[in-house]
Amino acid sequence: MPELYHWEPNIFYLKPMVALAEKGVDYHSHYFDPTNFEQLGAAFPHNVESQLQLEREGPLLLHEGAIIASSFFMLEYIAETFPGPSLLPIDAYDRYRMHAWGQVIALSVASAVTTLGCARYLAPALRTRAAEPLRSQIAAIEPLERRQAWEAVAYGSDDQGAVSSARRRLAPLLTRIEAALATSPWLAGAEYSIADIDAFAMLAALPSIEPDIVNRGATPQLMAFLERMRERPAVRAALAQSRTGRPAEAFVPGPEAPRWG
Amino acid sequence: MVTLYHWEPNANSGKPMLALAEKGVAYESHYLDLLKFDQHQPEYLRVNPDGTIPAMVHGDRMLTESTPMMEYIDEAFDGPPLRPSDPRLRWQMRWWMRFFDSYFAPSLSMIGWSVFIGPQVRQRDPAELRAAIDRIPLESRRIAWRKACFNEFSAEELAESRRRVAFATDVLEAHLRDRPYICGEVYSLGDINGFNLGYALPLSQPERCNDQKTPHIMEWLRKIYERPATRATWAKGRTAMAARVAMLERAPGASAPGGPHA
Repeated sequence: MPELYHWEPNIFYLKPMVALAEKGVDYHSHYFDPTNFEQLGAAFPHNVESQLQLEREGPLLLHEGAIIASSFFMLEYIAETFPGPSLLPIDAYDRYRMHAWGQVIALSVASAVTTLGCARYLAPALRTRAAEPLRSQIAAIEPLERRQAWEAVAYGSDDQGAVSSARRRLAPLLTRIEAALATSPWLAGAEYSIADIDAFAMLAALPSIEPDIVNRGATPQLMAFLERMRERPAVRAALAQSRTGRPAEAFVPGPEAPRWG
Repeated sequence: MVTLYHWEPNANSGKPMLALAEKGVAYESHYLDLLKFDQHQPEYLRVNPDGTIPAMVHGDRMLTESTPMMEYIDEAFDGPPLRPSDPRLRWQMRWWMRFFDSYFAPSLSMIGWSVFIGPQVRQRDPAELRAAIDRIPLESRRIAWRKACFNEFSAEELAESRRRVAFATDVLEAHLRDRPYICGEVYSLGDINGFNLGYALPLSQPERCNDQKTPHIMEWLRKIYERPATRATWAKGRTAMAARVAMLERAPGASAPGGPHA
């Protein structure tokens, strides 16, 4: 039976939870709290690819001896490996669009959204904690850039700068998503696919974090898309696995912002 | 009918060029000079309004993201498969392509721009250069080009890029120690991606990437260079940059070293 290491059903943790539910795959759930650094324990599965995955605290899928990391590629693995609905468009060009959305969301949308979510929820939470063991927990994080991402949230002096930069990067991406959803019901075209699961997971919390830029007036297509997604039984089942009752507040540092600007 | 808008066989442009060559797909080639900003001219913006290269037109379909473009090429055309059939290996191929595209490449290109390309571009009239950058459609690309052309990299950014290049080189060497190609025994898009990123590493990073320190990377690069599709693709290069590939030529009389991957 596949095993899934995940936290609350939000951001990248939500993706495999929805995809496995769409496929009707039973899996063993390992719920961990990344803000308590359980992922750094010796018992937590790891290999080169999970250590160096660019999402850092992302979910892990253990299947037939392999550790599958990096959430969009995990979705593709789930789609290609398990029986059930395909979750991949039939047409090669729709598949290209699916891959292109996976790339945009992983590299651009995810870094902006997790920056905004961390500033809103994780930073205040970390700042109420005792200085120790937090400092030594963060100091133990490898690799270096992963540690620095946590330091920026816990001790950063320019939260407002990070938030405005994330908003600036998010704006053209929202425009692009609106335009795509105005021409087809799903991101890759006429068929529902893992691109939609991927986008929903990263965008579901935005109406509550950024109500001024994501709302019925400003982003009507995106709002309707999020509602369509929430009606799916697989999405409901995944969201129902929340233990806090507030999954949309669960954030960890995601992939870094592009280093070129 | 396939039309490809590309620059030198290098980095992103080289990915679809080499993938199409491996599949045996003929294409109409439009060479754009990236350093002369051909990709921001109105003529090209009518093809790709984002002003990025490469772009591929297949019938009425337009593709602009180079790594997804390679998956499309493998899927849409006949010819030898360039992706493993086992989903686990395909996952591994995609993981490595992301590591190349998003971790290794941005750091390597920052060093490349700072040391090699930036100084050439700055020989032009600064006002003209500034106006050319202002015409770039995407804000994120405008920021990147401004940094690159005016060398606005901080000492910390460059030091971090050097650290990442050294680290990623070691990670790749360790990976290739156990397997001849990125996904094991099968040549795939992961190797095409990696070759475009790394074919000149032995020249640009001679102290980190060489026969003594990274023998497996060297052998991997040479094996890929020996493929007819690679030779044909790099022969389309017009500048000294693509010509660097010749350093992968094995010394006369030398043959592939022995060992499990020979």
